Amino acid sequence: MGGLIGEVEAPGEPPLPVGVPAEELRGSSPWRLAWMRLRRDRMALAFGVLFVLIVLVCLAAPLWADHVAHTGPNQNHITDKVIRDGQETYVVAPDGTPLGPGLHGQFLLGADQNGRDVMVRLLYGGRTSIFIGVIAALVTTVFAVLVGLVCGYYRGWIDAVLSRALEVVWAFPVLLLGIALGTTLSLGGLKIGSLVVAGDSLWIPILIIGFVYVPYMARPIRGEILALREKEFVEAAVAQGKGPIRIMVSELLPNVASTIIVFFTLNIANNMLLESSLSFLGAGVRPPNASWGTMIADGYQTIYTAPHLTIVPGLMIVLTVLALNVFGDGLRDALDPRAKIRLEH
Amino acid sequence: MSTRRKSLTIACVTALTAFGIAACGGDSGGGGGEASGGGKGGDINVTMTSFPDYIDPQLSYTLEGWEVMYNVYTPLLTYKHAKGEAGTEVVPALAKALPEVSADGKTYKLTLRPNMKYSDGTPIKASDFTYAIQRLFKADSGGSVFYEPIVGASEYAEGKADTIAGIKTDDATGDITISLTEPNGTFDGLLALAFAAPVPPTTPLDKDATPKPPPSSGPFMITNVEAPQTMTMERNPNFQTVKDAGATEVADAGVDKITITQNKSNSAQVTGVQQNTIDFMVDPPDADRLAEVKAKFSDRFRMEDSINTYYFWMNTQTAPFNDLKVRQAVNYAIDPEALNRVFGGRLHPTQQILPPGMPGYEEYKLYPGPDMAKAKALLAEANPADKDITVWTDDEPDRKRIGEYYHDVLTQLGFNATLKVIAGDVYFTTIGNQSTPDLDTGFSDWFQDFPHPDDFFRPLLNGASILPTNGNNFSRVSIPELDAKMDKLLEQQLTDDVKKQYAELDKAYMEQAVWAPYGNEEFTTFLSERMDFDKSYHHLLFNQDYSSFALK
Repeated sequence: MGGLIGEVEAPGEPPLPVGVPAEELRGSSPWRLAWMRLRRDRMALAFGVLFVLIVLVCLAAPLWADHVAHTGPNQNHITDKVIRDGQETYVVAPDGTPLGPGLHGQFLLGADQNGRDVMVRLLYGGRTSIFIGVIAALVTTVFAVLVGLVCGYYRGWIDAVLSRALEVVWAFPVLLLGIALGTTLSLGGLKIGSLVVAGDSLWIPILIIGFVYVPYMARPIRGEILALREKEFVEAAVAQGKGPIRIMVSELLPNVASTIIVFFTLNIANNMLLESSLSFLGAGVRPPNASWGTMIADGYQTIYTAPHLTIVPGLMIVLTVLALNVFGDGLRDALDPRAKIRLEH
Repeated sequence: MSTRRKSLTIACVTALTAFGIAACGGDSGGGGGEASGGGKGGDINVTMTSFPDYIDPQLSYTLEGWEVMYNVYTPLLTYKHAKGEAGTEVVPALAKALPEVSADGKTYKLTLRPNMKYSDGTPIKASDFTYAIQRLFKADSGGSVFYEPIVGASEYAEGKADTIAGIKTDDATGDITISLTEPNGTFDGLLALAFAAPVPPTTPLDKDATPKPPPSSGPFMITNVEAPQTMTMERNPNFQTVKDAGATEVADAGVDKITITQNKSNSAQVTGVQQNTIDFMVDPPDADRLAEVKAKFSDRFRMEDSINTYYFWMNTQTAPFNDLKVRQAVNYAIDPEALNRVFGGRLHPTQQILPPGMPGYEEYKLYPGPDMAKAKALLAEANPADKDITVWTDDEPDRKRIGEYYHDVLTQLGFNATLKVIAGDVYFTTIGNQSTPDLDTGFSDWFQDFPHPDDFFRPLLNGASILPTNGNNFSRVSIPELDAKMDKLLEQQLTDDVKKQYAELDKAYMEQAVWAPYGNEEFTTFLSERMDFDKSYHHLLFNQDYSSFALK
């Protein structure tokens, strides 16, 4: 039986995984050590698997739509009829009441007031919400890392200018800034030189959400880079004649990788929440496209008579965001248990 | 006017359409109009899903706006404060009597009642009427098109004259003489609209006065506007001067204060009225709450007749809707019954311009269906090169659903459609502004301004109504021979033969498929328990008559 964790820990480095034989630890890379820690965090793993399952189910939306429900997410069936309990029933009754949920492939979760299949819209809505969450997180990460590295490495006036710019964005509440940008850009779209994005494009909420979170990620990364900049290994790299870009990419970036990964995961969850809020308020995903936020916005009008139209997409948001947050916390503990990474706004 | 609710067949209003060149002068003599108002006072709360477009009598052109204007800005003549068909009768208001009309039908003479004051104490003068008409043209009002028959109006609008030559006023005597270029069968009715309500010359001539509305000449005055969230109407302290001058047909206020709030959640409004935190909701309950409200609150809920048409406009001047076959295809593809369900069964399906109850209405159906196969065949024949279109609607829940339905229909037809949903309070001003890009097709509705079929043609389909801003001819229709026919009909009395010709005009426009009409909406009244349900009534032209509101 080898020694347990703590026996080979180096000062200043993250603690080693608990309950793992020392021989197994010797020679292991930091990534492997992180994986060992994560593997032992059953809760984080379970929620990670749940997130993957949700993603897979949402990715299968076209299969469900084509082979089970036989309808698209935006297809109206107001005056169509389906068989329920052996009888022909209108998808939307003459008084406007939509079909309720039932154990059938078609309209499994019922129909909305436009006679659209709620299950199909839920799956497509999930794809949209997750897609926006992930891509917006990538946008945030790319810009935040770039700004954080440049500010932290160069310091001086570059840091002063970029930091003030970040503070301007920071000064606005995320939701208000998102609504302002979303409302403005949804009408005329975005035109920056040759870059033209239509007002109804999914890229509008992606870019807005990606943009508003940049300061929240860039500032802590800048802080870490500022600290790392003073370390001996950077001085050594400078002495070896390495240029600034090389130092930033090969010396500094790997040292903040764990922070970036954790931020990225937590950021997806925040992005999904913001997307839902913006779409609910009419400043995110454009109708008739489905996202969980637009589905809640459509459903809340009928919350008294058809609460499932609001509750089901709401539940999906809760589950997905919870899964990402618990998994993100686990990942943070695995990568650097002493870190206090938190996306606050 | 555009926007919102009501419908159902109203037995012919024909007999009440007392317009025409034969309209003669004389005091109305009161006629025992239903005395609105006179309630015990008190404060009430009203909600609407979309705020009025303008709080300005010359600019407002939505039902929400007119509902407010009716009891704030009193014109020379007014529509009787009465429910049902009686409310379509034109009676004297600030003028002493109905106009004296010359034998050739081109000159109207009226006299302003003496010693009346606006809510701020400013005397009401005859020249204020001229100023109001001038504002219509200088502020680019959507209603200006109605007043173009006044001599010199066009020259004034084009900046070639400093004043409108066809309006002569004498502030000392209160005499007002209006000369028209041609006889006009609707002119009495036009003088009774808020568009023509006198306003003091301190009102901006060429600007929207919403931030600081002009002082009132009606039972209520506007004391606060925070557009598009809330506004407050309070009793006009100088309204007694109007009553003392003999304007008995203008109803008094029944409550002291009305606070109007925009609330985007129809369901929350229904709950608010149920729980008595809201006293009146302008919009009918949405489909999902309607059955419940009907069943549980029959003592304070009723359906109301209204004269309106809901339709999809198509820009006839640009591709792909400049092709008749494309427009016909849309008419074949639309299913009015599907849209009826979006309204919770409150829609009378139609495919024509004039609604039931409007003189000239004769039922016909040019595009039987829905026939998607026929629609696709027509579209294949047309083979439009440009299939990228933008579909416009507003953010009120039922309008959004209508837009989503229409978007789906157009997508099924093979268009690459983009749906644009914008706020209800700016929707009509946005699509009525020609500089707005991508105005291809979208939602609209029209509620009668006055009971004459010209109201459903001139502002909506006449080439002269294609205005740079505040236009209502969203389809940008300009068919010279039909414009000429429309002008000719307007000069005549509304006889059976003329009504028949209006029916033919309706059909002629629909043969050109200028719109895709789909229904006439039935309206509702739903009040809190605090309100006197029997006293409050729905006016056929102005929706709820706010002067009829009274607490129990």
